[in-house]
Amino acid sequence: MMEEKILTKHINTLNCHTLDFYLANGGYNSLKKAFEIGSDAIIEEVKKSNLRGRGGAGFPTGMKWSFMPKNPVDAKGNPKPKYLVCNADEGEPGTFKDRLIMSKNPHSLIEGMVIAAKAVGACRGYIYIRGEFFKEARILQSAIDDARKKGFLGKDILGSKMDFELFVYRGAGAYICGEESALLNSLEGKRGEPRLKPPFPAQVGAFGMPTCVNNVETFAVVPYILEHGGPKFASLGTEKSGGTRLFCVSGQVERPGIYELSMRTTLRELIDIAGGVRGGKKLKAVIPGGASAPMLTATEIDIPMCFDAMMKAGTMAGSGGAIVMSEDVCIVEATSILLRFYEHESCGQCSQCREGSHWLARMFVRIEAGKGTHKDLEMIERICSNMAGQTICAFADAVTGPVLSAVRKFRSEFEDHVRQRRCPQKIASRTIDAMEIDRGRAHV
Amino acid sequence: MCNNIKIDGEAVEFVQGDTILQAAERAGKGHLIPRYCYHPGLPIAGTCRMCTVEVEKMPKLMTACSTIATDGMVVNTKSERVLKSRAGVMEFLLTNHPLDCPVCDKAGECELQDNNYRYGPVTSSFLEEKRVYSKAATKKLSPNITLNMNRCVHCERCVRFTEEVVKSCDLMMINRGWHKELTLSDEKLGLTSNYQGCLSDICPVGAHTFNDFRFKKRSWFLEQYPSVCDRCSKGCNISVHSENGVVYRFKPHYNEKVNGHWICDEGRLSYHQVMDATRIVKPLLAHEGSLKSTSWELAGAAVNYLITSASKVKVVIGTDATNEEMKYIQASLPDKFGKKFEFSSYCGYGEDKKLDHMLMMKDKTPNSNGASACKLNHLDGDLVGDCDVAILIRYGRSGVPQVKNCKKIIIIGVWTQKEIGSFGTNVEVVLPGLATTEKSGTYINCDGVSQNFSPAIAHLGEGLAVNSIISFFKK
Repeated sequence: MMEEKILTKHINTLNCHTLDFYLANGGYNSLKKAFEIGSDAIIEEVKKSNLRGRGGAGFPTGMKWSFMPKNPVDAKGNPKPKYLVCNADEGEPGTFKDRLIMSKNPHSLIEGMVIAAKAVGACRGYIYIRGEFFKEARILQSAIDDARKKGFLGKDILGSKMDFELFVYRGAGAYICGEESALLNSLEGKRGEPRLKPPFPAQVGAFGMPTCVNNVETFAVVPYILEHGGPKFASLGTEKSGGTRLFCVSGQVERPGIYELSMRTTLRELIDIAGGVRGGKKLKAVIPGGASAPMLTATEIDIPMCFDAMMKAGTMAGSGGAIVMSEDVCIVEATSILLRFYEHESCGQCSQCREGSHWLARMFVRIEAGKGTHKDLEMIERICSNMAGQTICAFADAVTGPVLSAVRKFRSEFEDHVRQRRCPQKIASRTIDAMEIDRGRAHV
Repeated sequence: MCNNIKIDGEAVEFVQGDTILQAAERAGKGHLIPRYCYHPGLPIAGTCRMCTVEVEKMPKLMTACSTIATDGMVVNTKSERVLKSRAGVMEFLLTNHPLDCPVCDKAGECELQDNNYRYGPVTSSFLEEKRVYSKAATKKLSPNITLNMNRCVHCERCVRFTEEVVKSCDLMMINRGWHKELTLSDEKLGLTSNYQGCLSDICPVGAHTFNDFRFKKRSWFLEQYPSVCDRCSKGCNISVHSENGVVYRFKPHYNEKVNGHWICDEGRLSYHQVMDATRIVKPLLAHEGSLKSTSWELAGAAVNYLITSASKVKVVIGTDATNEEMKYIQASLPDKFGKKFEFSSYCGYGEDKKLDHMLMMKDKTPNSNGASACKLNHLDGDLVGDCDVAILIRYGRSGVPQVKNCKKIIIIGVWTQKEIGSFGTNVEVVLPGLATTEKSGTYINCDGVSQNFSPAIAHLGEGLAVNSIISFFKK
């Protein structure tokens, strides 16, 4: 398939992460163009490109940038600085695309951030990188140092009189810090807990200043948009979701990995490109957009991987991480593992999410061990309906999405667990004995 | 300008910037919206999700505590969705709550109980094991506060209180999710503020309990009457909780002008003075070298004799007397016995000043400003002397002045045996009076706010109000 590649064009080349390599391949030309056309034209171009946030929510990026106040002032009438934050806290299970960009193509991220800073008028940028990405943080830091030496960062960038400083900030390993307001809290050194909205980060963000938060991939494609124009980028995707996207495929496929494909690509095509289900087994379920997206069954995968089509199918494109499950997988076990993750990662400020994720996780462990009752299935529905949409951030929805879809679409498996008082797909190597249940409990 | 929102069909006025909950409180409809994390004296958190209400034209349920009211908003606090959401929150909160109400001091005034009674599910469907914080089941955070983490509903009122109100930052949450736990920021220091009792007040459940009240009384036996704290010149408004005339605790009573929602621990514990076992509550008369209890008539006759036979009498009134008492004493004594009196006031704490950014003052008497208003001059040099008879009137708060060159002392008011002991055998008569919680009157606080109060409890001894005492001094 000869599709246009934006971010992964050169990733197989040696030293593709260096500044010299990036410059040799036309790097930082878009930045010069950005300074020529000015901030309004940049935002206009990004709007034309139909670029939508690659972090998971799919919010139109151009619109987000235009929400940033033009000349914010504080209560005393002094001008406020504006900040730009890159969300590199890639914690969603099944997603590993930002890590590739940061290790193989860090300069496209830096260039994209400087362009964005020009567009929104930010004076300072932070890359909030996941704590576990130690190597990537180092690569990024040296890339920033190189860019600063060449004058792409720092004071008076390329003679444009614009100052922009970029800092790498390493997180401490909390999934919830991928939520933008929790990320900002964490960046400020507070507990990583989502903030009440409104006010939105565009009004009150990092350190109380207007802040624009975007995903790594979102920033990294901005240089391409400026170089080739918005309409060109838009034409790569669907009507409302422009461009190509990095899809992460994991689970039981022949060739798991990252594939840069158009947003038009259907889920079935994606699985085929990744080599199909491993060992020629039948497909059972797919989580299409990172662990928080509701599951799809094998019959539901003929839909494009764009935000709107996925929404229509009752799931979400999310962060673009497809987790493929073959017929060998016990859905109850898979959901239970997911829930234990969520139980561990809930920040614990809202009542429903804190107690509900715990309750669900414990209940699934019980069902998995064959101690469930038929009443439990109704209970799951009830608990989920009490959690979803009632909390400060979308974490509770992320918990209930996969759970509800699993219970609704694979109800017979749950009923089998209850009726047979054991896991019907019990394989010797994956015995869920009492020990493992205890281990699960100790883990959380 | 007319700012109106509709709450359950009734128009309610609000002030610009109010949230729905604040508007409801302003209109006296606060009881319609249950809450845990919201407290009027603390910053808004919006995390308990108990206060959700349905707002027209908004797809989701909104938290009343954090949604800003706008003109024309239509709020429904009783719709099916809202009730379902509340029942859901209650169910979640109760899953890991130990339900040890029979041994919990908060029972009877617990918001979790109240809200569950109104909105919660009747039974629990939670079959899993409950979360147990074994190490923090009863942990002394300080000599004043005991924490039972198992009862906590994670509203974080206490964390915000220490961070934003007293600014001691003693408490913090550690861990994430369902095993999130409240701990001290510094285990060695413990709680450092002087407002620890407030933690127990604001805690919606029995997680923080005040050690002084722990296991003393079930809250539903307590009668509550408002009064004014007399432990310092601030004059914080309190509510006196008592049963059969015995005070069990003081709690703050909201007054925007004086103390807001808080009182200090010193004031909170000052009820012990009223209930002190060594407080003198019977008239005493010197007889054969020691003080013997007597009747009011005999004591009055003794005073009558002492004053009539004296040519110079000095009267020292503590700055813990009410304005009414000061005025009455100054008027009635010369009226009965002629112009042989010299009046002065006595505080004993020096120049008044603020001790912290909140409430505590250096002057530990309630009415120094009242004494100046009643034209009483402060006693020179802490010393009474060179007179035939000294009358010392004091209600337990002001310092005890020294007496020199005076062999006959008459004591009136609230005194303990130890305080009287300092005068040796010079005390002729002791006439017990009423403490602040037992009488009515007016204090003028350090900011010039004049506060009137009524009796909160009945006096259990034979003490009398000052006008009754003086009525026994027949001329």
